[in-house]
Amino acid sequence: MNIYGEYEPTLHQILDEFTKRLLDLNKKYQTTHHESLFEHLNGRIKTQKSMIEKCQRKNLPVTPYSALRQNRDSIGVRIVCNFIDDIYTCIDLIENMSDIDIITKKDYITNAKPNGYRSYHMIISKTIDSQDIDGNFPGHFYIEIQLRTIAMDTWASLEHKMKYKHDIKNPKMISKELKRVADELASCDVSMQTIRQLIREEN
Amino acid sequence: MKILLAEDEPQLNHVITVALQSAKYDVDSVFNGQEAVNAASKNAYDAMIFDIMMPVMDGITALKKIREQGNKTYVMMLTAKSEVDDKVTGLESGADDYLTKPFSLKELIARLHSLERRSENYSTENLQYGDLKLNVSDQELVAHNSIRLANKETELLQYFLLNSDKDLSAQELITHIWKNDPEANSELVWLYVSYLKQKLASIQSEVKILGEKGGSFRLTK
Repeated sequence: MNIYGEYEPTLHQILDEFTKRLLDLNKKYQTTHHESLFEHLNGRIKTQKSMIEKCQRKNLPVTPYSALRQNRDSIGVRIVCNFIDDIYTCIDLIENMSDIDIITKKDYITNAKPNGYRSYHMIISKTIDSQDIDGNFPGHFYIEIQLRTIAMDTWASLEHKMKYKHDIKNPKMISKELKRVADELASCDVSMQTIRQLIREEN
Repeated sequence: MKILLAEDEPQLNHVITVALQSAKYDVDSVFNGQEAVNAASKNAYDAMIFDIMMPVMDGITALKKIREQGNKTYVMMLTAKSEVDDKVTGLESGADDYLTKPFSLKELIARLHSLERRSENYSTENLQYGDLKLNVSDQELVAHNSIRLANKETELLQYFLLNSDKDLSAQELITHIWKNDPEANSELVWLYVSYLKQKLASIQSEVKILGEKGGSFRLTK
């Protein structure tokens, strides 16, 4: 059985369409501003295995309804930007899309997690021209978007490795060092943005 | 605190040693400048007290040799009352303070207490202002979030925090923070003030630095 039921092809269509839209947006931005809105973009449909595990972990029945309504990360997009400012520009542009409603926003950049994690998380609802799991037409599907800088992205991938490696000799020291490095990277992100602003003011 | 005492008169040496020990100081006593130089190169001290007139090697020569070795320990000279030149030579040779003989042991100990206060309580290692905390040795800045600062940013913010709510000109900041750097100018000061402004904002502190490019700056909350 498929955890997404008959909707799996729809999920792929939505992801492809949304990714293409963002890439087009970046191209348009490049021609008008002569710099990129974001550096790169990743998208994925959560695998059957992870989605089933997540439903079980949250004590939800393993059904398409749980996967598409109770969980809101079946479609995931990560936007990696060069500068902190660009993250907020992307958010504005996404908020202004006519077929998108913002469900939640969590700013872990201004409110960094205690371990040093920084990123901006959004859950959006996209309206599409076909039926959804509730039988609504037009239908609504959730997309989870994470936005971060290159430095935040590199840090998160290192922290992810540490989280899933259970035989680390000195986890306390490593956690403390990861926190310190997160704060140093944040400092560089802010410095680079400051320099970019000064250059812009001069022009 | 561990103290090195160099005094050639056996009786005075003994009296000072006992007084320092009863004030809970750890004391090494020697009887001439050469022994003082040897002891200072072997052991770590928090303060050194040298008589000037001593056989084998006088206190000034010993002080100069110790400073030549790169030793920056606090040094107090014991000078004869009439000799103004001794005091001047002592201070110019690298001494931090002097006491004129005869001196009271109470005064000697009070000065050592004052030294301890300066290095411990008045230390500017951890500074706090409003919701902002700066840990100078870790270069860590904490309010709602935390961030690490670069070396010069830390020095600059430390100076701002020690002089909060005062207008500081770019020239004052250059003199105190960039000291002998011939390339430091008001443009550079503005860049570093801008870094700090944005980093304060990024940790969502209530503390801010006011002032615009070319003018003076003020840290306030």
